[in-house]
Amino acid sequence: MQEASKQMSSRRLFSGAVAAALTLLAIPCFAQSQAAQPGTFPGTVQVLGLEGIKNNASGTLTVGKGNLEFTSGKKKADVPASSISDVITDKDSQRTIGGVIGTMSMFAPYGGGRFLSLFRTKIDTLTIEYQDPSGGLHGAVFTMPIGTAEGAKKVLLAEGAHTTIPAEMAATAPEEKKP
Amino acid sequence: MTRTRIACSLLFAIVAPFFLANTGLAQDKAPFKTNASSIQILLVDSKEVTLPAEFQVSLYENLVAQVQKSGKFQHVYRDGDRNATDAQDLIVLHSTVHGFKMGSEEKRQVTTVAGETSINIHCQITDKAGKSLLEQDVTGKVRFLGGNLRATYDFAKKVAQIVSQPS
Repeated sequence: MQEASKQMSSRRLFSGAVAAALTLLAIPCFAQSQAAQPGTFPGTVQVLGLEGIKNNASGTLTVGKGNLEFTSGKKKADVPASSISDVITDKDSQRTIGGVIGTMSMFAPYGGGRFLSLFRTKIDTLTIEYQDPSGGLHGAVFTMPIGTAEGAKKVLLAEGAHTTIPAEMAATAPEEKKP
Repeated sequence: MTRTRIACSLLFAIVAPFFLANTGLAQDKAPFKTNASSIQILLVDSKEVTLPAEFQVSLYENLVAQVQKSGKFQHVYRDGDRNATDAQDLIVLHSTVHGFKMGSEEKRQVTTVAGETSINIHCQITDKAGKSLLEQDVTGKVRFLGGNLRATYDFAKKVAQIVSQPS
């Protein structure tokens, strides 16, 4: 009787482990399918500029149907692509361990926080300038995973946005040495 | 007792200027007072110095946000806003970048003393007709905590302090 219950529990454990492994395997596939959608850029951070969205809010940038849309949780901001007068991309880097934990780690003993600051992730920046219906100039700055900003710019230009630096020029320009 | 008092006052006299030097108030040459009910903030001009686009946009957006936050003006108009032409009591804020030193967040975090980012901007406030009411240089800096764009926030806070002096 006891042996039977032991077998049952081990079977449950095994099936649970298999289910967990399958779920873990499915997550990257799901993420890939999301990233593969044209005009959708997950993992974007709105540094500042969009009305109704907090500074440094992370979310998804979507470009399509003549609009740039940023969604962060339940909040959403739209900018018509035709009202965008300039789109500029750049490169930067940020601390791999950021946020509150990153700030707290600065006070870690024996220079632990300083050591962690050496681990950095490269990011792209996307800057847009646009006009509201009364002609007032607005600007917004986004940071995105490396290699995605140029794609976002191309999609925006295709949707009707304007730029002072064409996408081809930005791609061929020599990489600026940034500290 | 008297010696202690003298020593304390001497110490205060030596230390106080260092602390004041870091505040926006220390940069004021003369307090700017205005009764204007509206202000128009123009995009930061960076023809003399090459300024990355994200800095230019960040300077402008932080300026608008900080001046709005000060609550001094009933209307804060953006660059190009057509409604500003009808505003009666309007002053205009022009900003021109004179100096820009791109620091490094990594250097600041690792060394504490190196990697400062600073932006030196000449600010001019004019009335609607273009008559200059105030001209002043303001510097935005980030020395330790925060990304490079934090220098733009520092600058905007100082400018908001200057324009929102009680009349």
